[in-house]
Amino acid sequence: MFQLTATPASALADEPVHIRVTGLTPLQIVTLTASLKDEKGYVFQSQAFYRANEVGELDLTQASSFGGDYVGVHPMGLFWSLKPRKAFRRLLKQDVMNSPFWVTLNVYDSVFLQVSTTDQPKASQMVQRWFSGPGVQRVQIREGRVRGALFLPPGEGPFPGIMDLFGGRGGLVEFRASLLASHGFAVLALAYFGYEDLPAELGEIDLEYFEEAANLLLAHPKIQPPGIGLFSVSKGAEIALAMACFLKQVVATVCINGTNAIYEFPLRYKDLVITPIPTFLERLQFDALGAGRLRHYRGNARDELNQKSVLPIEKAQGPILFIVGESDECLNSKDCAEQALEQLRSHGKNNGRMLVYPGAGHLIEPPYTPLCYASPQSNFSRLLLWGGEPVAHAAAQEHSWGEIQKFFREHLTETRRKL
Amino acid sequence: MIQLTATPASTLVDDPVHIRATGLPPFQIVILQATLEDEKGNLFHSQAYYKASEAGEVDLECAPSLGGDYVGVHPMGLFWSLKAEKFLTKLVKRDVMNSPFLVQIKLYDSNLPLAQIATTAPKVSVTLERWYTAPGVTRIQVHEGHLRGVLFLPPGEGRFPGVIDLFGDIGGLIEYRASLLASHGFAALALAYCNYEDLPLRPEKIDLEYFKEAVNFLLRHPKVLGPGVGIVSISKGAEIGLSMAIHLKQVTATVLINGPNFVFSVPQVYHGQISHPLYFSPQLVSIDSLGLAQFQYCFEEARSKASETFFLPIEKAQGHFLFIVGEDDKSINSKAYAEQATERLRRNGKNNWTLLSYPGAGHMLEPPYSPLCYASKLSKFHLFMCWGGEVTPHAAAQEHSWKEIQKFLRKHLVPVVTSQL
Repeated sequence: MFQLTATPASALADEPVHIRVTGLTPLQIVTLTASLKDEKGYVFQSQAFYRANEVGELDLTQASSFGGDYVGVHPMGLFWSLKPRKAFRRLLKQDVMNSPFWVTLNVYDSVFLQVSTTDQPKASQMVQRWFSGPGVQRVQIREGRVRGALFLPPGEGPFPGIMDLFGGRGGLVEFRASLLASHGFAVLALAYFGYEDLPAELGEIDLEYFEEAANLLLAHPKIQPPGIGLFSVSKGAEIALAMACFLKQVVATVCINGTNAIYEFPLRYKDLVITPIPTFLERLQFDALGAGRLRHYRGNARDELNQKSVLPIEKAQGPILFIVGESDECLNSKDCAEQALEQLRSHGKNNGRMLVYPGAGHLIEPPYTPLCYASPQSNFSRLLLWGGEPVAHAAAQEHSWGEIQKFFREHLTETRRKL
Repeated sequence: MIQLTATPASTLVDDPVHIRATGLPPFQIVILQATLEDEKGNLFHSQAYYKASEAGEVDLECAPSLGGDYVGVHPMGLFWSLKAEKFLTKLVKRDVMNSPFLVQIKLYDSNLPLAQIATTAPKVSVTLERWYTAPGVTRIQVHEGHLRGVLFLPPGEGRFPGVIDLFGDIGGLIEYRASLLASHGFAALALAYCNYEDLPLRPEKIDLEYFKEAVNFLLRHPKVLGPGVGIVSISKGAEIGLSMAIHLKQVTATVLINGPNFVFSVPQVYHGQISHPLYFSPQLVSIDSLGLAQFQYCFEEARSKASETFFLPIEKAQGHFLFIVGEDDKSINSKAYAEQATERLRRNGKNNWTLLSYPGAGHMLEPPYSPLCYASKLSKFHLFMCWGGEVTPHAAAQEHSWKEIQKFLRKHLVPVVTSQL
């Protein structure tokens, strides 16, 4: 009799699950599947084919999948290879406090690709994937101009404070902030457009808004002075790098797949205006799926003409960690990070470092998040390519998440020791 | 004053259109967009960016597109690069008789952010009619004996070469290729074999007797020229077409587009003889980063173990073959199967075939100017099927192969009248 165990049955979404199947016949071939429904009811599914060992057991930490959504030894493969039934829908948890994702794991006693509703699994197990740990508190922020959500770890504190910035998707993305708070950081997920009474569209970046948010965070009794960290991706990373240059409140910065210059819209900070590097419409090309690869569409920050748009990164205090996906199709993030590091070096500074992940795409997220290779970006009714090769991207997500927490722990508590 | 012309304004969907814009500021970059709404209300659109000449003109016959859905000089690029707003939806015309597709060509300033195009009025636009039947073509619903399908007859007196049109095992009835063939002088029978009217949803076997009935029906028809018939077939339809050519001597010209040289999924039967299928290996299906499933190599394990008897005895066919292969076909190992079939013909001393192999073309080779369908959902799989193809070479393959198909059919179905002198 088949038995499927998955432990822990309830855990944080960034924790691995150990999946085992027992009671099989020796060397039997089975299909393992995972499925979940997101909060709008859209189904995500994955499958992999395995062969049991000589004693009729299967342990995903050791067994190698020979087909399906991934091949090879990948204990969490069923999670990060989940694919949406609705084309190009991104898996993104909205309510991070009150409910988990429920993932159903099934095992079938043969190899098949199409699992219809009439097929009965031989064993089944459901696991819960939570985006906040026990005791984490969520505080809606609506003070002054600042809009977002603050996640506080359980306990008295004070905690190292981090501001979390997402990209051109807009709105408020909370799951990364809530997960980070579950690891002992006070994290403000900050919205800057497409949310509540903020501007509906992305436009000129007013750095004073972000300064207001940084001050708000630092003023909170449970947040440890004197400075905050920035955790940012894509357009958020462009903004975070600008904040690091101009705001003393920023003492440690993580930029995932961001630029070293201002693009698309100007950036303003008090009297200073940085004009953007222009984009060239005629360089934009769509592929067979109608997806746009923005990587070549952007002007190059190395061009003489674009120097005024390059951020004065040498002014940034505190360490900066660049996380780069080499297969990023949205921008040449490796080149941008290299330029930034060259600029630091040329000014005699060594507070920059990069982690380059071959095969990783633009959307490097917490571990086990399914790769989103392309998705529609709000009003732009075309697909945008983010890139990434599934196995490498999954490995990059696992590795970088650990590195990011180490970085913040080292550099945010360090400032306290310096006082 | 900016002017946009597109001629002819109303024509067959496989006829090219000449698009020109004049009165533009010299060297200005403009956005040309095509939009279309299908019969279900799905929107399709395409874009290309052009630079006006010194004289303020953009003539698609000679101006290169700089970016967008295609680059280079492609007068019909706006048509064959149309993309569905609802991702992975295929463009299919259902009513081929009574209405055309309306395609709007619009011109915009390049200063306009792309995100605003949908809500901004173009500087100038024209609307074109793209028809799937020529004037005078008649459509006859076929309900004779077991046969289910639609016969399209060209206008005029006399008899026309007969062709049976077969699509893949998605089933239903697809009429637009037959209606276009009729518009070019063929009596074309769009024949359904599953998932249509009272035909089974998923047949357990394919009985060639049904297709023989179709051949006889066609040859009996007063407007059909004999003594042979042709077949135009794709995918599963091509598996059937190949068997028909082998067993039915009245089949004198067979076009096989991206089809197998063996039976797959369900067996074929004819006069008590069973042709057993090869089965696919699920682990040989590869699922890419986008979640698209490529079935191209899924029969390789079965093929390598199969004896010669599993492969259809193509050397027994008396008629002629035209193989059309999309080299970038991601759903069927089209090139390998066609090469194996033609190799078998060669070994048997036969030279009754032509193979047209198109680099960069995918599985869904359709009449010219049809948008490339790179991937779409088949209801029976939860995964999206990748059909393959690169937009530009696929379009070129469609244009070229359509002409070749008609030439081939005419050559082998229309007897040449030789002088008696």
